[in-house]
Amino acid sequence: MMADTGSEEVAVIGNTDLTPGEIENNMKNTMGEKGTVLFRKMEINVAEAEKRTVKNAVNMQETYTVYLIETRPADAAAEGTNPAPDSLWRRYSEFEILRNFLLVTYPHLVVPPLPEKRAEFVWHKLSADNMDPDFVERRRVGLENFLLRVSSHPILSTDNVFFTFLTEENGWKEMVFETGFQAKADSRLKALNATFRVKNPDKRFAEMKHYSDELQSVISQLLRVRARVADRLYGVYKVHGNYGRVFSEWSAIEKEMGDGLQSAGHHMDAYAASVDDILEEEEHYADQLKEYLFYTEALRAVCRKHELMQFELEMAAQDLSTKKQQQEELATGTVRTFSLKGMTSKLFGQETPEQREAKMKALEGQIQEDEESLKDKNTECDEFVRGAWLDIERFKDQKNHDLKEALISYAIMQISMCKKGIQVWTNAKECFNKM
Amino acid sequence: MSASTPKTLPTSGPKSILDICHPLSAEESVRTPSPDVGNTTGSIGEKDLSLPNGTPVDTSSPASSSSLLNRLQLDDDLDGETRDLFVTVDDPKKHVSTMETYITYRVSTKTTRVEFDLPEYSFRRRYQDFDWLRIKLEETQPTHLIPPLPEKFVMKGVVDRFSEEFVEVRRKALDKFLKRVADHPVLSFNEHFNVFLSAKDLNAYKKQGLALLTKMGESVKYVTGGYKLRGRPLEFAAMGDYLDVFTQKLGTIDRIAQRIIKEQTEYLVELREYGPVYSSWAGFESSLQEPLEGVSGCVANCAGALEELTEDMNDDFLPVLKEYVLYIESMKTVLKKRDQVQAEYEGKLEAVAFRKEERTATPTDVEKCQDRAECFNADLKADWDRWQNNKRQDFRQLLTGTADKNIQYYEKCLAAWESIIPLLQDRQENTKTETS
Repeated sequence: MMADTGSEEVAVIGNTDLTPGEIENNMKNTMGEKGTVLFRKMEINVAEAEKRTVKNAVNMQETYTVYLIETRPADAAAEGTNPAPDSLWRRYSEFEILRNFLLVTYPHLVVPPLPEKRAEFVWHKLSADNMDPDFVERRRVGLENFLLRVSSHPILSTDNVFFTFLTEENGWKEMVFETGFQAKADSRLKALNATFRVKNPDKRFAEMKHYSDELQSVISQLLRVRARVADRLYGVYKVHGNYGRVFSEWSAIEKEMGDGLQSAGHHMDAYAASVDDILEEEEHYADQLKEYLFYTEALRAVCRKHELMQFELEMAAQDLSTKKQQQEELATGTVRTFSLKGMTSKLFGQETPEQREAKMKALEGQIQEDEESLKDKNTECDEFVRGAWLDIERFKDQKNHDLKEALISYAIMQISMCKKGIQVWTNAKECFNKM
Repeated sequence: MSASTPKTLPTSGPKSILDICHPLSAEESVRTPSPDVGNTTGSIGEKDLSLPNGTPVDTSSPASSSSLLNRLQLDDDLDGETRDLFVTVDDPKKHVSTMETYITYRVSTKTTRVEFDLPEYSFRRRYQDFDWLRIKLEETQPTHLIPPLPEKFVMKGVVDRFSEEFVEVRRKALDKFLKRVADHPVLSFNEHFNVFLSAKDLNAYKKQGLALLTKMGESVKYVTGGYKLRGRPLEFAAMGDYLDVFTQKLGTIDRIAQRIIKEQTEYLVELREYGPVYSSWAGFESSLQEPLEGVSGCVANCAGALEELTEDMNDDFLPVLKEYVLYIESMKTVLKKRDQVQAEYEGKLEAVAFRKEERTATPTDVEKCQDRAECFNADLKADWDRWQNNKRQDFRQLLTGTADKNIQYYEKCLAAWESIIPLLQDRQENTKTETS
């Protein structure tokens, strides 16, 4: 379901599969005056890109690119009417904000990635400059694809912040920051990078994390080598162009051979020129792979989040059992666990029965609280696992489908390249035959 | 010549070419005999080759059988004679002796000419023998363009003189050399050529020293230099100019071709790394295993096809360019010689006219010079025309052959990619029911 340049995808955003629990969850997480927002069908399009130059906070000139997002009710096309779309401009950094919000708000979901911030895996002719029109164009396609992915996600599509992103140019930023997600984003990042060990790791998630690491590694490698292959292919084709010139010069001193040589030379020029289109098309394939390269990060994040939850659960459970043990000791008077209080009371004398009574009561209270909290945490964890695994399954299907499509389109590109090659050399051969 | 050679040379004599077994016994390594050049054995035997006149022969096969047939056709057009002399160079074999290691080639002849005692011959010759022949031809037929030989010296350590590739490239060039001589209306009747083809013991003949020079050879041999050429006739000047430019263009084409080979080789290196990445992906992506392996296999196939293409460029394309560069060099020498002959004639003519020198040219002397000059010009002109025609054919064949190889390369790649499309698409339907 990759976005095509220029074509408009009808994204069915209507969500009929949410469980009551999930809907409630959404309501909790998506703030904003609009309340629950379930939009049915909306056509989304990133139609254009433009350069803007403004003076920034330190009175310096800053140039950036903005993208035009057009939206229109999908049934308008079906009805035959073609109302003008609503539209607004967004820059890349705003997309980033949106995505970070989604990551924080839906940690159990595999959030679609944005197109790359800087051009990587470029072969020599491709510009690594962010302002380069080809890069901007590919980014435009990538951003459209991102929006379509989000709008076709059963849960993400219902998010109000997302909806507002598409429909209200001004004030959106303020609204998002008011949700306080930024603080959560920071702590989330910290947590994801922390090192901790889970005693009983969930096998499924561990496997998934391992898979995402492997996938990331192999796609990176693939993209790197492909870029080198593209470079070399370019070289082969372009050198053939030199034949064009020398055949032309040679034909000047020949009588009968001249015409054949000259026209063959033109075909060699055409051959050399054809590689530009071939490689431009291949960039689409590279972009498809890149999307899934970046998807692995999202996948990994979900697994890590689960790991973190698991860890916290284990810590909480351990804490509870420690407290229970303390309770037992207080009740029976035996000291099995070492505690500073225990030592000091040993050194400085036993406590009074009243003190002991108070302690036990306090401990009982804590234990009850902790048990409640642990129960909640467990529920939260279970829900997380359920939701996450559902989304992971959805993601797997999408990935398998998309990658297969990508491979097919790659094969078709190769076939087209071969056919062009056959054509050119057949033409050249005809010319040679006339020599 | 090394002492060991005569003892091991074959004495196959008048046997039919087809019956000749490999006569050399002192071989350490037996090569797979290279295929007879384009099955000419078969076609040589029958004299009327059923070639429709004027219909261009399909030049898509790189074997020189088509080149031979082309030549036949052309010669029919030019000379209006039927061919009566056919030569082939094939079956390279390595010989190891205490003194040296070298390669011999089988030279087979079929002819009805009366200048030959027998209708068929087959002897083994080594490069030295060809070299000797060429020198003799240059000496005895200085007014003609002698075809070039493949390069004599090869840097040891850089190129393997005994590799199959090198030997095959050389064999083709030697075969071409002999065929060009055999096709030539004058050179083919040269005494040394005759001996080369028909003598059992070539070395003995070589030792006899200079045999008979032709009349022209004799006279041109003693042309004195030191005469300044006044004016070169237009057509010879044009030849010189043409050769200059042509050499340049050939040089450029050679450089381009070498660059292409280099780029293709580097492309191949990357492809060989590219394919396996898909395989390693297939290793842990169970639901996409077949498609990924399929792509990996495809890339490998394309790499193989590319390797073949590059090898062919190396073996078939570059040597022909080189050969023509050598050809042109020797042609320029002949042109210079012609200039000298003309200069001498003009000089002596002038001397007689003005009675300048003491030991003058006598009028008969001048006449001889004039004769010489005119013969030279005529020979050269005829050879030039013939050379132009052959050149045209050679390059037509070379370039169409190259185009063909490229077409074949793309066709192989196309077949590979087309074959995996059904593999990739079939599984699409199964994805939905699969649990990956």
